[in-house]
Amino acid sequence: MRLEVKDIKKSFGENEVLHGVSFDIESGKALGLLGRNGAGKTTTIRILMDVFHSDSGEIFLDGKKFERKNYQIGYLPEERGLYPKKTVIEQMVYLARLRGISKTEAIVNSRKWLTRLEVNEYEKKKLETLSKGNQQKVQLASTLVCNPDIIILDEPFSGLDPVNSQILQQVVRELISENKIVIFSSHQMSYVEEFCEDIAIINKGEVVLFGDLDKIKREYGEKQLVLSAVNYDLDELKTKCISELNDVLEITGKTKDTLIIKIRDHVTRNALLTAILTKNIEVEHFETYKPSLNDIFIAKVGEE
Amino acid sequence: MKKFLVVLQYELKNYFKNKSYMISTIFLIVLVGIGMFLPRFFDMSGILGTPQKNESAQNVNESDNATSGQDSKESKNMIIYDKTGALKDMSLLNSIFKDVKWQIATNEDEVKNSVKEDKSEAGFVVNSLTDYDYYIFDKSMSDSNTYSFNAALTTISQINYCTTNGLNYAEVATAFNPTISSNEQVLGKDMSQNFWYCYILVIVIFMSIIVYGIMIATSVTQEKSNRTIELLITSTNSNSLLFGKVIAGAIASLGQVGAILCVAVFSYRINQAAWGNKLDMILAIPNNVLITFGIFGIGGFLFYAFIYGAMGALVSKTEDINKSAGGVQMVIMIVYFVVLAQLSNINGIVIKVASFLPFSSYSAMFARVAMGTVAPWEIIVSFLILIASIVLVGMFGAKIYRMGTLRYGNPIKLSNAIKFLKHSK
Repeated sequence: MRLEVKDIKKSFGENEVLHGVSFDIESGKALGLLGRNGAGKTTTIRILMDVFHSDSGEIFLDGKKFERKNYQIGYLPEERGLYPKKTVIEQMVYLARLRGISKTEAIVNSRKWLTRLEVNEYEKKKLETLSKGNQQKVQLASTLVCNPDIIILDEPFSGLDPVNSQILQQVVRELISENKIVIFSSHQMSYVEEFCEDIAIINKGEVVLFGDLDKIKREYGEKQLVLSAVNYDLDELKTKCISELNDVLEITGKTKDTLIIKIRDHVTRNALLTAILTKNIEVEHFETYKPSLNDIFIAKVGEE
Repeated sequence: MKKFLVVLQYELKNYFKNKSYMISTIFLIVLVGIGMFLPRFFDMSGILGTPQKNESAQNVNESDNATSGQDSKESKNMIIYDKTGALKDMSLLNSIFKDVKWQIATNEDEVKNSVKEDKSEAGFVVNSLTDYDYYIFDKSMSDSNTYSFNAALTTISQINYCTTNGLNYAEVATAFNPTISSNEQVLGKDMSQNFWYCYILVIVIFMSIIVYGIMIATSVTQEKSNRTIELLITSTNSNSLLFGKVIAGAIASLGQVGAILCVAVFSYRINQAAWGNKLDMILAIPNNVLITFGIFGIGGFLFYAFIYGAMGALVSKTEDINKSAGGVQMVIMIVYFVVLAQLSNINGIVIKVASFLPFSSYSAMFARVAMGTVAPWEIIVSFLILIASIVLVGMFGAKIYRMGTLRYGNPIKLSNAIKFLKHSK
């Protein structure tokens, strides 16, 4: 299956919040939908879920117009919500039946997912008596109870301890391997890097970066290097580079221990290294810059 | 439809698993049921004012002494100061004021003080046969002492006139007050018989709408405040959710009120003779009135329940429900008071108009059927208007519900919600 979102626009009153959002994703892959708070991620997801109607633009599945009601979608909203006074199994079965699953199947599926997420012992407990992490797992089990073809997870790891995070990571990997379409929205970039082959970064209602994450990283790191010196601290090194090496490099940022530099167009790596050494800089690190998703994200949407 | 049934089943289960709902329903059914059978097993003549089972007519006649002894216990004290001397013979007063022990005062102050000190229930100072002062401490609404005293003075004046003019008072009295027998045939409705059960049923439907309406609104708002709503509306359509909730509320309400009412009415019918027909004015409700009450009651309930559901979606906290539902409550209250006030003028234009308006026909049309004369076409037209209005309000309510569900924060004004719906078209 291939889900394509094409040029979605949406306004609330006079305020246009999505200015033509486009991205696509295939089965067996996870898409990281990223953006700052208020960028338009949740609105995009809600349009996918048919909670809102877009003003223009279309969604296609395998080239045909996407009809939400014809597909099972497992949606874990960012704002978690279940009935606190109801038992776990009762509300899971109810939600499954609302999605068109028979009662018997709903009970079987509920137990399967509660067991898989290691919360089956709370089946008959009221939700409000569970810890936040276990409530989160019940919420995820409710998302998956209908055997969805498309899974949308909005901040699925929030509130989980490292052990529970590991269980969830394994579940997400299984879903991807089962050829599901997974849309994954999170501010925890390490998880996105781990699961998502593709990313779409939304900023102020526009997709500012979309594509294969590895390719994006390669392109972003192209002609960039990290540099540190034994005989200068980072601030001294930065001052020296700006004053004495400006014709061969440009400083684009810094990490905890190194400067990130970009080689000027006409300069080779060897020429740059020679220039650095001639300035009496004792090189500690001089290697290709491999940007993290976090770096890319901040570079794309960090500045106003 | 299938998902609507899932919502309906879930919501109904919520009502039936609610302990307070079940306990109050069962308790009231048992209480009413037992109460209706009591006269079969216990002597309730003291409460009902009916002759005791073992008290035959013979007994009544044979024990004058015992009766007078009992009367003396219940007699009241009254005081009189007669300036005219016309009331020296107290037999006339005693015959009119049967349970009264009269004390003769010697001056006006004695009368006032006796009443003030609660030694006498009331006092009279007779200035002439056409003028007297009446003293009472706390006057009750049903005080008829002056009417009785007027009758006494009028009779004395008539006797005096007959004596002065050589007439036989007994003959004159018979001639002026012939015994008239009447045979009443009510061809339409007898309002004196129907008034009280009609009054009670208007209150019952009013309370049901208010209580269950608020429960429906609260249920919607709670789903919004605990954020379940986002999962629900992404799992099924909002029409199924709202209609499921409202119909479940209607069934729960009908189940509770209907069960209690049916137990009361039908167990009274079984025990009507034992009750000596004393509760006819409340519980001898004809089937056609019960059916009209049921049909129009459910219609009115649904009409308002959809509005309550939509109002619940306009707020994010349960404590804000009164802000959004206040206007609806006001309309229901106005309808309630207007219908009650018009029960004594059941064929008036106000209740006729109210019986066709969808927000008031649920009680006005039922009241007209119970107490007045209504043509079948009027009932049909009113019911069709009500049905059409329920459908429109249901559709409108579902749109408001859909629009309001994901809007958190301050309560949304209904006018803003309508503007938004127009804009979104």
